[in-house]
Amino acid sequence: MEQFFQQLTNGLAIGGIYALIALGYTLVYGVLKLINFAHGDLFTIGAFLGLSLLTAFSLTDKLGFAMGVGALVLMIVCLVGIIGILLDQAAYKPLRTSPRLSAVVSALGMSIVFSNAIMLVFGPNPQVYPHGILPTSVLHIFGLPFPVKRLLLLVTSVVLMAALYFFIQKTTIGAAIRAAAIDQDAARLMGINVNLVIMLIFFIGPALGGAAGVMVGLYYGQIKWTMGWLYGLKAFTAAILGGIGNIPGAMVGGLLLGVIESLGSAYISMAWKDAITFVVLILILIVRPTGLLGERVAEKI
Amino acid sequence: MKKILFLIAALSIIAAGTALAADTVKIGLTAPITGSWAAEGQDMKQICELLADQVNADGGLLGKEVEVVVADDGGNEQTAALAAQRLATKGIVAVVGTYGSSVTEASQGIYNAAKIPQIANGSTAVRLTEKGLKYFFRTSPRDDEQGRVAAKTLMGMGYKKIAILHDNTTYAKGLAEETKALLDKEPVELVFFDALTPGEQDYTTILTTLKTKNAEVVFFTGYYPEAGLMLRQKKEMGFDVPFVGGDATNNPDLVKIAGKDAAEGFYFISPPVPQDLPSKEAKDFLAAYTKKYGAAPGSIWAVLSGDGFRVMVEAIKQTNSTDPNKIADYLHTGMKDFPGLTGTISFNEKGDRVGDVYRVYKVDAEGGFILQ
Repeated sequence: MEQFFQQLTNGLAIGGIYALIALGYTLVYGVLKLINFAHGDLFTIGAFLGLSLLTAFSLTDKLGFAMGVGALVLMIVCLVGIIGILLDQAAYKPLRTSPRLSAVVSALGMSIVFSNAIMLVFGPNPQVYPHGILPTSVLHIFGLPFPVKRLLLLVTSVVLMAALYFFIQKTTIGAAIRAAAIDQDAARLMGINVNLVIMLIFFIGPALGGAAGVMVGLYYGQIKWTMGWLYGLKAFTAAILGGIGNIPGAMVGGLLLGVIESLGSAYISMAWKDAITFVVLILILIVRPTGLLGERVAEKI
Repeated sequence: MKKILFLIAALSIIAAGTALAADTVKIGLTAPITGSWAAEGQDMKQICELLADQVNADGGLLGKEVEVVVADDGGNEQTAALAAQRLATKGIVAVVGTYGSSVTEASQGIYNAAKIPQIANGSTAVRLTEKGLKYFFRTSPRDDEQGRVAAKTLMGMGYKKIAILHDNTTYAKGLAEETKALLDKEPVELVFFDALTPGEQDYTTILTTLKTKNAEVVFFTGYYPEAGLMLRQKKEMGFDVPFVGGDATNNPDLVKIAGKDAAEGFYFISPPVPQDLPSKEAKDFLAAYTKKYGAAPGSIWAVLSGDGFRVMVEAIKQTNSTDPNKIADYLHTGMKDFPGLTGTISFNEKGDRVGDVYRVYKVDAEGGFILQ
């Protein structure tokens, strides 16, 4: 039983990361019906920029742990958000009226451009975050060891997701985003500036991805220029699992994917981990083609 | 008149072109210049270029300059096959490389069909030389040799419950299976035998499973990025089982990733690290390398590419030709105890290097690799 809970928390920790990245896919898809394949690389950019800023300003030395990490995440959120907007302006906006496939190909191209740019700027070797920034103490909850930093990781991702959820559901701007997601033309007729909404989407999605990148760097220590691909793929799967275009769906999908991976590899087979995960995905999609929380929309891809 | 002038000009350009092309002896190098093993690949490139400079300073080869033609295999099979096809058309007389076994396997057939002698430098999977390819050699040892040393080391540590973890690559799986076959004959219990997915970052699931299986020692046959992450995560979990690594964990980045306190006490089996190379050739070479690039090469695998290069140069010199059959014959039978950077080099009829090279290392509190 202890092993089960251990594996469950292992899965939830990585699932929180998947969920944060999945939000970026789902937000963009919700409004533009575009799979932003460059999103995984925006996540990597977040991780690398985070490392540069952290070491350049020695933030945690000057500001202490909480303030330092907070400032770092804030800076990355802004920077990667701006990169997201530029990405949209450069690669997707000119293709807004083209067939949907053109934008998808453009996204794949941008993914390659970004990952190679990271390699050329930061070098091909794995980079390492400074050790000992996150607390190393271990809590014991019901006799089960629970590292504090894992708790931090989970809490941060849940808080970020909850904040996004309330922003979309409860604010006027959120209502505008939802309206643009349902029908862009009608939204325009209602006086909503759809271009601004799209810009906002391309700020928030990449910003969350960038924050996930910093969190991964701080938590696992090692970052590589290729890592966006694997995380991007997993997060994309998570978004599909939960129902793409649906924000709570991305969160549930991410956490669920982490847990399936962890329990699947613990109790069935480690080498077959990804195969097990995708079998589960296929089974869920057979029963619910729109994903777990996806609504039935007449025309998706 | 104009036409004739043009013809003459065109012809002279072609002539100049071919003259330039014939001016050098070209030796290819395929290495992972990019990709997850780029740290190794870039060292390989620097080493071969340094050695080529040295050969040229000593008067070149067959009265010509030696030129290293580098191709990036990206550390993956598809790129390696493309790189091999490209290199094969560039007039190279021999090729050095590459690192990963599965990557080498993708290029082997292409070079062999093109009759270009190939000398791999990091590919230790047994089956690479079991195919009877005439033009394939390697300066690195084989996994069955490493498996023997690994089994002996694990038995020598006196633990009874052993776990083996690989990463499903040709190399790591081969080594894991070799070691398992040897341990099955011994009075120990193999409590775990499975693979992780390389390139991920969270290995806590695997570590938790290892803990519940009560493994007393873990033998990981994969590469250094994953090994470093696992050492770090196992320390954070408070799980203090000793880890033993295969030779692909022999890279200074391991300590950087894991952190010194988590890496301390990690054992690995490997050919000697560059700094422990005993011969005069090795010392001279390391001095020259450090002088040119500011630091010693990171791992032995890159130095083994240098040995591959030197062996090919020697074979061309001794046979006084670039004929692939003569070079291959010389390497199979003629070369005896050639003073390589990593010890004496001879090859058997399969193209495998003869002699044992494996040592056991332990990481100390300062992150240094200490020969046991």
